[in-house]
This record gives sequence, structure tokens and C-alpha cells, in this order.
Amino acid sequence: MVRVLGAVTVVALAAGLVAGLGLAPREATQGNVQRIMYLHVPSVWVAYLAFAVVFVASIAYLAKRAEAADQLAHASAEVGVLFTGLTIATGSIWGKPTWGTWWTWDARLTSVSILFVMYLGYLLLRGMIEDRERGARYAAVLGIVAAFNIPLVHFSVTWWRTLHQPPSLMKPGPGTMPPVIVATLLVNFVAFSLLYAYFVAKRVRLLRREAEATS
Amino acid sequence: MGDNWSFVLAAYGLAVVVVLGYWRMLVRREKDLDQ
Repeated sequence: MVRVLGAVTVVALAAGLVAGLGLAPREATQGNVQRIMYLHVPSVWVAYLAFAVVFVASIAYLAKRAEAADQLAHASAEVGVLFTGLTIATGSIWGKPTWGTWWTWDARLTSVSILFVMYLGYLLLRGMIEDRERGARYAAVLGIVAAFNIPLVHFSVTWWRTLHQPPSLMKPGPGTMPPVIVATLLVNFVAFSLLYAYFVAKRVRLLRREAEATS
Repeated sequence: MGDNWSFVLAAYGLAVVVVLGYWRMLVRREKDLDQ
């Protein structure tokens, strides 16, 4: 099942790559550098998704103490950190030619960095506590608290004046982007979501096997 | 504005390295458990 998901993910990622680098038109203002968007925006979408899953799985763990919920939260947090890091790095690469700087402490960049550090801390916390049950409990509390940073990251560009542009897609009201750009983004959203599901499925299986091996 | 293809390739190249690196780490740890 995981292998089939992996194969479908590879096909979807290839389609996303072809659409992003080839089929999508050259953007009039930014030129071809705007193609980084097809990587940057789906990455942050996966980060949001991953941390939302951590939030729900952490509540489920505290309510039922089911090890499966804890393993799902752990796997999802790890994948979320990976994609948050990718979001920050690709944003920085995109920022240099468009803003003239690799980094600036504006509200979006700062809040997403805090999000990254919080979930990095979540993973470190899990690794530091030897008692698995206690570690899972503490991590679940942090997984719930840290999720409140997600709306802060998303709405930071509307609540404060930032160098980062406001959301073009994930916002209420009619869209302003041409359909071909929206379609390319959607292909990449699907591909990255499948990649998230594949990584989490593989990581959960690994965590389950590691738990069986140590118990 | 110039096309800045080098930045595009850097971003996509980095993404490929990160995704393949994580995938390899998962596969390697699975193999370690098999042994």
C-alpha cells in the first residue's frame, strides 16, 4: 500500500515539476524566478497540514492514550519540520532576486521561523525524555500549544505591514491569478500532499517497528 | 527583471536533495531494522 502511494507520488511530483518549470507561463513582472512559487507555496501548505495533524493526533493521544495517535503526531511533526525548513530556504532563495535580500525580520518570516523552532523543540523534547509515555504526554501538550502559531503565520501578512506579499490563493473572495498558474499550483498541491502522506505512512511504520523492537 | 534561472535551479535542486535525503534516511533505518 505504501509502495503504491510512493509510485503515485513520484508520478504526481513529475507532473508538478513539468507543469512548474515548463507548462506554466513566464510571469510578467518577476520573470521565471516566480516558478519558485510552485515549490514554496505547496511546501508551506504541507507544513500547515502536518502541524494540524499533530494538533488533532495530540488531542486524540491525551484523550485515549493510544500509541498510534502519538506515532502519527511524531511522524507528522518530523515531516512538518522538513517542509517548514524547505519553505524558509526556498523563500530566501526567491527573496534575493525579488526583494534584494536573503532575509528580513518581517512578521511572516519571523513567525514562520518561530513555528520552525517550536516544532524542532517538539522533536528535541521527544528525543530527550527516555520514558516513552511521559515524553509522548509532554510532546502532545506542546503539539497542541504550538499549533496556535499556524493562524499567526498565515494571517501575519494581513495583520502587520510586511515585505512578504499577502496570500494570493488561500484567502476569501475571488482569485486574482490566471487559471493556468492556479492549475499548476493545484497540481503541485496534490503532489506535495501525496508526498506528505507517503512520508508519514513510512515514518509511522518505522516508529511502530522501533517500538516493537524495544518493547 | 532578469529571469534568474540560477535561483530557480537552486530552489528546485535544494528541494530534490532534501526530499531524497529524507527518503534515503527512512529507507536506511528500515533496512537497519530488518537486519
